[in-house]
Amino acid sequence: MKFAKLIAASILAGTLALPAASFAADKPVVGLVMKSLANEFFKNMLEGAKAHEAKRGDYTLKAVGMQSETDVETQINAIDSFITQKVSAIVVAPSDSRALVPPIKRAIDAGITVVNFDVALDDKAKQEAGLKLAFVGPDNREGAKMAGDALAKKLGAGAKVVIIEGNPGADNATQRKLGFDDAVAAGKLKLLDSRTAHWETEEANTVFTNMLTAHPDIQGVMAANDSMVLGVVKAIEAAGKTGKIEVVGFDNIPAVQPLLKEKKLLATVDQFGQQMAADAIDKALGVVAGGKPLEGWVKTDIKLVTSDDVK
Amino acid sequence: MDTPELTAAPAGSTAFATTTKTVLREAGIGIALIVLIAAFSFTPYFLTASNITNILTQVTINLVLSIGMTFVILIGGIDLSVGSVLAFCAVVAGTVMNLPGLDPAAAVALATISAILAGMLFGVLNGLISAWWAIPSFIVTLGTLNIARGAALQVTNASTIYSFPPAFNAFGSQTIYGVPVLFLIALVLVAIGWFVLTKTVFGRVLYGIGNNEEAARLAGHNVFFYKVAAFTICGVLVGIGAIIYMARLNIASPIIGIGFELNAIAAVIIGGTSLSGGRGSVVGTLLGACIIGVLANGLILLGLSDFMRQMITGFVIILAVILDKYRERLTKA
Repeated sequence: MKFAKLIAASILAGTLALPAASFAADKPVVGLVMKSLANEFFKNMLEGAKAHEAKRGDYTLKAVGMQSETDVETQINAIDSFITQKVSAIVVAPSDSRALVPPIKRAIDAGITVVNFDVALDDKAKQEAGLKLAFVGPDNREGAKMAGDALAKKLGAGAKVVIIEGNPGADNATQRKLGFDDAVAAGKLKLLDSRTAHWETEEANTVFTNMLTAHPDIQGVMAANDSMVLGVVKAIEAAGKTGKIEVVGFDNIPAVQPLLKEKKLLATVDQFGQQMAADAIDKALGVVAGGKPLEGWVKTDIKLVTSDDVK
Repeated sequence: MDTPELTAAPAGSTAFATTTKTVLREAGIGIALIVLIAAFSFTPYFLTASNITNILTQVTINLVLSIGMTFVILIGGIDLSVGSVLAFCAVVAGTVMNLPGLDPAAAVALATISAILAGMLFGVLNGLISAWWAIPSFIVTLGTLNIARGAALQVTNASTIYSFPPAFNAFGSQTIYGVPVLFLIALVLVAIGWFVLTKTVFGRVLYGIGNNEEAARLAGHNVFFYKVAAFTICGVLVGIGAIIYMARLNIASPIIGIGFELNAIAAVIIGGTSLSGGRGSVVGTLLGACIIGVLANGLILLGLSDFMRQMITGFVIILAVILDKYRERLTKA
């Protein structure tokens, strides 16, 4: 069975990966379905996967990205096209946790190893489709709780805080909000307001400035990603409240490193995006090579990053 | 869409009547803004000096883009590319600003020039293509929307540019008697736009083209040139908008500005400029941008949910257009 799969993969690799045909002859092919490559986070993730392919050298990577975060159709088409190409494994970061269930089911029925990473598929949708599939990814809720805990520890019980959320309905945005709520409850913080800025710098700047007007006594704020942290920090500077309001974020992007260093950002959370796709590919290849199937939630590393981590 | 009356009077031949109508039109929008402010002033903090400073800051970028959009809509066009072009201009300027071996002042000057040139480039492109092949600008700018966004992502490899000279950053948050410097720049641009549109032959011809393109052509005007010019002006303002964005937020990223074109169109329409061209003013646009800004700020201060805010903003846009229909009838009578 495994041998037959390899033969099938090798024929495909031979016909599709034109220049490297003779070398790729015995390598399994992994189809990687990414989210928006316009997002630095996923762009880095893809680069990490490509470096991983070059380093391992025992598989061929075919990556498909999409144009925007909500471009569900591109992902479905990519999976269907990978099924037609009879790849060995598909590694997918779903843009929609329900819409991607049927195509993934088709891939599994076609004998392809599928690994779901970054965003988990919806449990109910999986159940309805009769699909059993593990999830490899970070615990966004736990990450947001770590950031919220850092805020609580710094400010103490009773401190007044707000959160700037991501896109309403997006799974990671929901999880981060829940995680922050957990920290608010555990640290006995007082949550004054909670609004979305759609992951965007300029909108976060405007929304937080207006929140600060409505609640001049805000002591701490969590922005659900670091792009929004950039807008929030500028709003605090403009209000002349630098050092009086503590900020925590999520993602640990390069642009917030100076802010961490200057202590304008208390903490952010690194979910090691660069390695995430590579880890998921490793796990998929393990199953393809005859390892036992993944089960449940395989959690990937998350880490709280503070000014101590910035050189 | 042209009414017989307007067709009969292209290029502002009855200057007095037109001015009276414009003043009436703007007065209506001004009253709407005052009513809105009065309604919000019952919430604490709304009428405080610092909140007014905030609103002016938040209005600035949209206002600058809306001035350019007014020129384009006045000739009966539309520019959907402004948000993407803003991102492209910003990453070009950000890259220039970080060139090695430039002293801060030279870097900022060079970056400003390159942002304006980048915006001009797309404006000229939009104008040339839509005017030469007579393609609706809706389609052309939908194309350049994607070209500019793709180009911005390509040159930066999707990464954010974030280290600018401290003086540039400080300039972006400066105020004079509570009025943000960036807003003052936008006001100067409104004044220039107002002058060009109302006091120059160039401006009158733009109105003429919007009212009746064929009549303007028969009157001997080079319609092709004026169309390209209107889109180019819009592009230049997008370039300036990009620099203002960078000065305010201290970053340049290829994914900024998504949906800015819709906010700009909303400000222009709420400001009483007709989507079919030929009617409207930049003063109306200034008031329209302020209405959007006041609404966004006031509804947050009221503690309304995000979703309610979005719905209310939608209602206001539709209400503005309906009111405009009545105003049109009144001023014609």
